[in-house]
Amino acid sequence: MQDAILAMLAKEPSHGYDLGLRLRRALGPLGGSMNAGQVYVTLARLEKAGLVVHERSEESPARPDRKVYALTEAGHERVTAWLGEVNRPKPDLVEFHLKLAAASASRLADPVELVDTQRRELLRRLAEAQRAVLAEPEGSTGGLLLEGIALRLQADLRWLEACERVWSRAGQESGDA
Amino acid sequence: MGRVLLVFRLVLGDLRRHPGPAVLLVVSTLVATAVLSLGMSLPGATERLYLQTRAATAGPDVVVVAPGTSRAADAALRSLENVPGVAARSRTYRTFFTPITTSGGEVRAAVLGADAKPGPIDRPLVTSGEWVRPGGVVVERGFAGALRLRVGDRVRVGGRSFPVVGIAVTAARMVYPWATMGGPDGGPSDRSGLVWLHERDTRALAGADVPAASLVYLRLRDPAATAAFRAVYHEAHDPAVRLNAFTWPVIAFQDAVYLRDGQPILIVGGWLLSFMAVAGLTTLAAGRAAGQIRRAGLLKVVGATPGLVAVVLLTEHLALALVADAAGLTVTRLVAPLVVNPSGSLLTTDAGPSGPVVAMTTVVAVGVAVLTALAPAVRALRTEAVATLSPAVRRPDHLVLLSRLAGLLPVPLLLGLRLVARRPGRVLLHAGGTATTAVGLTVLLMVDAQPDRGWDLGGVTMADLMDDRSRLLLLGVITAMVTLAVVNTLTLTWTTATESRVTMAVARTLGATPGQVTAGLATAQLLPTLPGALAGIPLGLFTQWFFGHQNPPQPPAPALWLIPPALLLATAALAALPARASARRSVAETLRAEAV
Amino acid sequence: MNVLQVRDLVKRHGRKESLVRAVDGVDLDVPAGQMLAVMGPSGCGKSTLLHLMGGLERPTGGQVWLAGERIDTVGERALARLRRRSVGFVFQSFHLVEELTAAENVELPVLLAGGSPRAARRRAQYLLDQVGLDHRARHLPWKLSGGERQRVAVARALANEPLVVLADEPTGNLDTAATNEVLRLFAELRAMGQTLVLVTHDGRVAATADRLISMRDGAFVEDTWLAGHTGHTGRFDGLFAMGD
Repeated sequence: MQDAILAMLAKEPSHGYDLGLRLRRALGPLGGSMNAGQVYVTLARLEKAGLVVHERSEESPARPDRKVYALTEAGHERVTAWLGEVNRPKPDLVEFHLKLAAASASRLADPVELVDTQRRELLRRLAEAQRAVLAEPEGSTGGLLLEGIALRLQADLRWLEACERVWSRAGQESGDA
Repeated sequence: MGRVLLVFRLVLGDLRRHPGPAVLLVVSTLVATAVLSLGMSLPGATERLYLQTRAATAGPDVVVVAPGTSRAADAALRSLENVPGVAARSRTYRTFFTPITTSGGEVRAAVLGADAKPGPIDRPLVTSGEWVRPGGVVVERGFAGALRLRVGDRVRVGGRSFPVVGIAVTAARMVYPWATMGGPDGGPSDRSGLVWLHERDTRALAGADVPAASLVYLRLRDPAATAAFRAVYHEAHDPAVRLNAFTWPVIAFQDAVYLRDGQPILIVGGWLLSFMAVAGLTTLAAGRAAGQIRRAGLLKVVGATPGLVAVVLLTEHLALALVADAAGLTVTRLVAPLVVNPSGSLLTTDAGPSGPVVAMTTVVAVGVAVLTALAPAVRALRTEAVATLSPAVRRPDHLVLLSRLAGLLPVPLLLGLRLVARRPGRVLLHAGGTATTAVGLTVLLMVDAQPDRGWDLGGVTMADLMDDRSRLLLLGVITAMVTLAVVNTLTLTWTTATESRVTMAVARTLGATPGQVTAGLATAQLLPTLPGALAGIPLGLFTQWFFGHQNPPQPPAPALWLIPPALLLATAALAALPARASARRSVAETLRAEAV
Repeated sequence: MNVLQVRDLVKRHGRKESLVRAVDGVDLDVPAGQMLAVMGPSGCGKSTLLHLMGGLERPTGGQVWLAGERIDTVGERALARLRRRSVGFVFQSFHLVEELTAAENVELPVLLAGGSPRAARRRAQYLLDQVGLDHRARHLPWKLSGGERQRVAVARALANEPLVVLADEPTGNLDTAATNEVLRLFAELRAMGQTLVLVTHDGRVAATADRLISMRDGAFVEDTWLAGHTGHTGRFDGLFAMGD
């Protein structure tokens, strides 16, 4: 959550309210369960950590929320590191999804490349799991757990395929525009 | 209304997309119905023609012939009017048995002294020219046809030349060449034709001591009571005179002798052809069944009711069968007059298939259509819609012994044999079809090997119309048989090639060449051909002996030994066509299409 | 030594608007003994690539070399001979000859290559024993399970000791257990030094390979050498941290 909000700010400084909106949009139907207050709490925490700063906006005096948040130098570094890191042991779906959305929005990283990196990692682990499965004698209970792991990794790989399809298309469209 | 349109559109669409099977269906059914209806039209056909002729010419119920021209004969004939049941009697006519001379030579003939104005009984119908007058001769139509005489030609009778003034038909005499009717002195009848001369012109013949007979025409009170007449007429006349009575059923029977050989040819041939048609159509339907079921599944998926699916399938087959039936009956209608009246001695105003025959062939055609369409229709209705969209799992149940032997054979042949062995029913049908063709060819060759003796009519040998007729019918039936055999072989090999497409593609991924695949498929088809062809020869010999009046069996013609190799060669050639076409397809494409 | 070499390989289907570049300029070297997986979404051209390498289809352009022999220019008979001796195919839908028993299916390539019936029988017996199906030798394919059928197909592919086995989605029609059966078999083949090219979109299959090529729209986008097969030496501790 923290990293996602930081990455969103990397594109441009924003109001907390706008940040909430963008997060909700990125999460799609899952975004409905997100509490609006969560964004402000997180922002306050990030500010305390010195990763963001805020200034008062004079443009829209009618709104109660006039704080515009921006990344600090340290905040930038943290975002770049987050985008570059490969999730281990297993990607959190929501986090990875937000990462792709943030990477695409901030243009700090290519989402397709992120997918590729993630896939390589998953494949490596799938290979380990699968070989372990094959090393087990046929029909042994010990192999069952390994098989479950292999199947989950495979499911993740499939999802990555879908991610790649969507984000490479999105990249092309924005590239064409 | 929308439903009818939909059915119509679907049927039309399918016909347009697959015209080949539709044509095969029509051709097979047409040939079978034509021959069958022709064969079934024959019993009683000539009798029907005789009745027509009898009605048109006021034919007598009984013709009584007495040898010679003596007074006793006249008296005996006259006394017949006293026989119970006789309603009327004609005057006494004289027949002179004397050759007539045409441009072709001297021909035996029966010359009847006729009145310029025929009496109330036997009024011959003039079909061309006019009736006899002094100095002019009228020739019976069958006789004229055999001699190729026309009005205006000249013939010599009893040393005097007459112009032919007319051609006529009569019911009072047996058809050409049995016009002698009792013959001179009541002896066995020789073959001859009938001519009419004016009474006055026959006097020269009477004076020249030519063999002659006298006759009267009788009309019975009840035309059906001929048996009663025959039972009593001998008591009414002078027993010294040998009278010979020909009742009209006897004459009609003799006329039908022409078709004695033709009828079994057509009936047996018709059933054999029907068998071949069913064999071919069953194979065809089986080959198309997969596609039909898939189509039914598609229709069901888009919401068509099972009833509609069945209606579409049946409509198509029924429509085609009815078209074929109508065409077959038309063929019969055109051919029948030529078949049932070979001599031309009878009228042929109505010689087409009768109502019952039409009904019968229609039932057969509809039956074939329903039988071939019903199985896929029922299967389509029973199968789940979704299941029909995925290719059916084919389950070869039993492997026949021959497939065990196949292990010793070259691989493509082994594959081909296994494919054939998987459908023993089809192998039997194919063998049966080949045997049928071999039977036909054997009979044809055997009949052809018999000398064509012809009819001896005194000085000239005329064509033996009866034998010629039989040979012609035989040739026609066997031509139809060979046509169907070709159609069936193509259907069979095409179906097998289609079904084995994947297997052969797999063989090619394993390194079989297209040539090997083609050879394998073609050779495998020959397996049922060989026993079929071999079995057909003895069967054909038996058939020929059985229907050839059980004459002593003749030695088999040497040409018979050519039948098996000829059939094998023809089958191989016909099998190679679809096999080659199938082998030419891209392997990857075939496998891809199957994997979907 | 490279068993397979592919240079600038192009295969197009259709014309003009409907033109599909199934394979679009691919270069590939497959060294002897390598187990190579080509992965990609359906329609990316990986099956076509396999068919081109096995001589089932002819390329529009480029070259294919099998054991130092160029095969994209030879005639149909030479191709057939080549498939007999040098290539073994394994397909997604098995493509066993339905009319023949398991043993006879395996004998088929030996007989096609001119082997004696006795040699074919012995070879089939040996291979079925290897794939653990000696007790199923006399069964017709429809009586076998999917995994068994595919194992027969693998045995058949190995009948003539081919230089390379080409497998097109070998587990595409199989459930998890059957997939493991077949993958176990492949792992054994790999251990024996058999060159294998697998085309798949199943990550589990790809993961067992030495080398993984990703394919998109007829071209290679990635060529990874997967970590050496050190076996299961506890390197997957991290896997168990996944409970979330």
